[in-house]
Amino acid sequence: MSVLYELSGVARYFQRGPTTVRALDDVSLEIEPGEFVALEGPSGSGKTTLLQILGALDRPSAGTVTFDGSDLVKQPDSELAELRLHSFGFVFQQFNLIPTLTAVENVEAKLAPAGGTRGRALELLAEVGLAERADHLPAHLSGGEQQRVAIARALSFEPRVVLADEPTGNLDSATGGEIIDLLANLAAEHGSTVIVATHDASLAARAPRRVAMRDGKLAGNVRAVPA
Amino acid sequence: MFYLRYLRNELVRRRTRTIVTLVGLGLGVALVVAIASLSKGLDRAQQKTLDPLAGIGTDLTVTLAPQQQQSQGFGFGPGGGGGNRDLIQSNLSVLTDLSKLGKPGAHFVHDFFLPGTQLTFPQRAAQQIASLDGVQKTTTGLTLLAEHQEGVVPKIVATLKTQAKTLTIQRNLPRPTAKDFAQMQACLQKAGVTLGRPQTQQGQGFGNGFGGGTGQRNDANRQAFQKCLPASMRRFRTRVTTPSQTLKQVLDPPQTNISTTAYTIGGADQSSPNMGVVTAAQVTKGTFLSPAGGKEALVATSYAAKHSLKVGSKLNLNGTTFTIVGLVSPPLGGQSADVYLPLKQLQTLASEKNLANVILVHAKSSSDVAKVKQEIQRALPQAQVASSKDVADTISGSLVDASNLSHDLGLALSVVAAVAAFLLAALLALSSVGKRVRELGTLKALGWTQRMVVRQVAGESLATGILGGIFGIGLGVLAAVAIDAFGPSLTASSSTGSDFANLGVSTVRTATRSVSLTAPVGITVLAIGFGLALLGGLIAGTAGALRAARLRPADALRQVE
Repeated sequence: MSVLYELSGVARYFQRGPTTVRALDDVSLEIEPGEFVALEGPSGSGKTTLLQILGALDRPSAGTVTFDGSDLVKQPDSELAELRLHSFGFVFQQFNLIPTLTAVENVEAKLAPAGGTRGRALELLAEVGLAERADHLPAHLSGGEQQRVAIARALSFEPRVVLADEPTGNLDSATGGEIIDLLANLAAEHGSTVIVATHDASLAARAPRRVAMRDGKLAGNVRAVPA
Repeated sequence: MFYLRYLRNELVRRRTRTIVTLVGLGLGVALVVAIASLSKGLDRAQQKTLDPLAGIGTDLTVTLAPQQQQSQGFGFGPGGGGGNRDLIQSNLSVLTDLSKLGKPGAHFVHDFFLPGTQLTFPQRAAQQIASLDGVQKTTTGLTLLAEHQEGVVPKIVATLKTQAKTLTIQRNLPRPTAKDFAQMQACLQKAGVTLGRPQTQQGQGFGNGFGGGTGQRNDANRQAFQKCLPASMRRFRTRVTTPSQTLKQVLDPPQTNISTTAYTIGGADQSSPNMGVVTAAQVTKGTFLSPAGGKEALVATSYAAKHSLKVGSKLNLNGTTFTIVGLVSPPLGGQSADVYLPLKQLQTLASEKNLANVILVHAKSSSDVAKVKQEIQRALPQAQVASSKDVADTISGSLVDASNLSHDLGLALSVVAAVAAFLLAALLALSSVGKRVRELGTLKALGWTQRMVVRQVAGESLATGILGGIFGIGLGVLAAVAIDAFGPSLTASSSTGSDFANLGVSTVRTATRSVSLTAPVGITVLAIGFGLALLGGLIAGTAGALRAARLRPADALRQVE
């Protein structure tokens, strides 16, 4: 099996006033297609930064990020946008739905740049069990429902990778469990690789592969031996 | 189309922000539209009222004003008298000759006409001006100050008292006969009077004959003499009479109940209804003077109201009856009068045959006016030439104030309003982008390109601009309609004529015209207003889009964590 991601010596620094914050420091990692990876670590350990670099939302300060054989660092912005559109799907802790758009319109917002239709958006909502809530505004949906809309949105184009940043962080544990199950099942159905950043150990424990982070560095990289 | 739905949703579902932006932009645009319209309305009103000579179809008026210095060969002067002497000469007829009014005690009504401060001159001067380059047409007019006198012819009673007079009469008396003389001598001798040298002196007459005696003796002598005088001489003395004489005495003027009212009367060339001291355009009721120039009159509305005159009323002027055919409103400035007659009729009435005191000049083109004015002044150095502008400069009032205000302040206010509206729109667009950082970051995370995000943000601002423009135009039109409906009345007034202290009369007349304020909304104004709103939207959109474009998606998402 070919390698999906290949990170080598990736670092990301932020300038916060006079001090330089090393959000990521010399991270090298390989991820294979179809993997379900949990990025563990406390807040500020660099999970989100790593996730954004993996999702082509950010560029590393140093190192190389090879995705599907091409170096993301060298891609122009327009190419990265194209990758985000078709190859990646994001799920956020805050759900990040557009507040003025209904559930179905939020899915359409993802489909629109490629000319997707409302019908396709409704199909996706049906997959996450929200067909009957399609015309509700985010404000009128529960947290779990909002996150399902976000998942439907993330899966719109059969993405190669679904990147979820603390997807259960704003949900109660029962709903959180449901969301993780849904994410895992749908990712499997759509053949997507899933990378979930979480500080919840019990959630991480459900992932076949766990990557632990501490202070921007990899602290552990455990791959469960396939049964 | 998803993007348009998204745009609409942004506007509709962020109602408060949209409304605030629309109201801000709208008010700005409305203010610009309203001020521009108002300014236009004021300009129009000013053109209509503040161009008084144009109101009487005239570019220039030529008058002859009294000169302070001795005149020098004035082409159409009344004899070159110069100074106030001319004026008094011209106005002498006002000094009432009571003897011509009727018998003492009779009631009389009489109108006296005098040129006031504007001296008359022969009408033919108009032809001289008409022949100048650039002059299209001239007409003459005669505006006189009329004194209407009414009362009773006074009786003048003189009480004469003559003084005592001593009469001295010299006469050669017939020589007394010898017999008379002898008798007188005998009589005198009897009375004891001795005549000095009577024999030699008797031929001298008795007048000097008694020089000799002293006082007392003289008395006695005189009595005796009296007695002894011959009868023929005594008779002569009784027959003396005083000669007849004519007595002259300066009398104080008698008290009379004559009342005098002053008004102005204008003689207009009735064959020129569009240009003259009164024109057909001024007629508010009835008709203009007929071309034939009969016994017709026009009266000013104010004068008609004061004297209860209306179309069809008769006006008796020194025995000639004129029928009022129309009422006229006065032009602002220029020559305004209370009563207008055909020029010839007034000339006859006022004994001013072939005389006029104003020439109205219409230039071939308005650009020639200044040149024509110079030419007239060169040809007739003593003439006073006034252009519309000169007259307009003497006009004051709220209309002028408002017009000046709208010019000075209106523009500034428009600019301030527009800039304020733009700033508001731009600030709101910026703050909107600021508040939507996460949303825009999310869109980028979803795969929206930079261009798409910027397009969306700019589109929203542009749409806001269009809506704000429509809203503002509606508001501006509404304001203009409201101004039209409830607009305050503005007035313009001008004073013409001058105090004429020499005769104790004043020809100062103030014409006031009131104009209702209007605010005509033109397509141009609307287009400008809409354009401004659009510009405001674009500026706001660009500001917002630039900020949106600078967002790095990762930063955008990170900001809320």
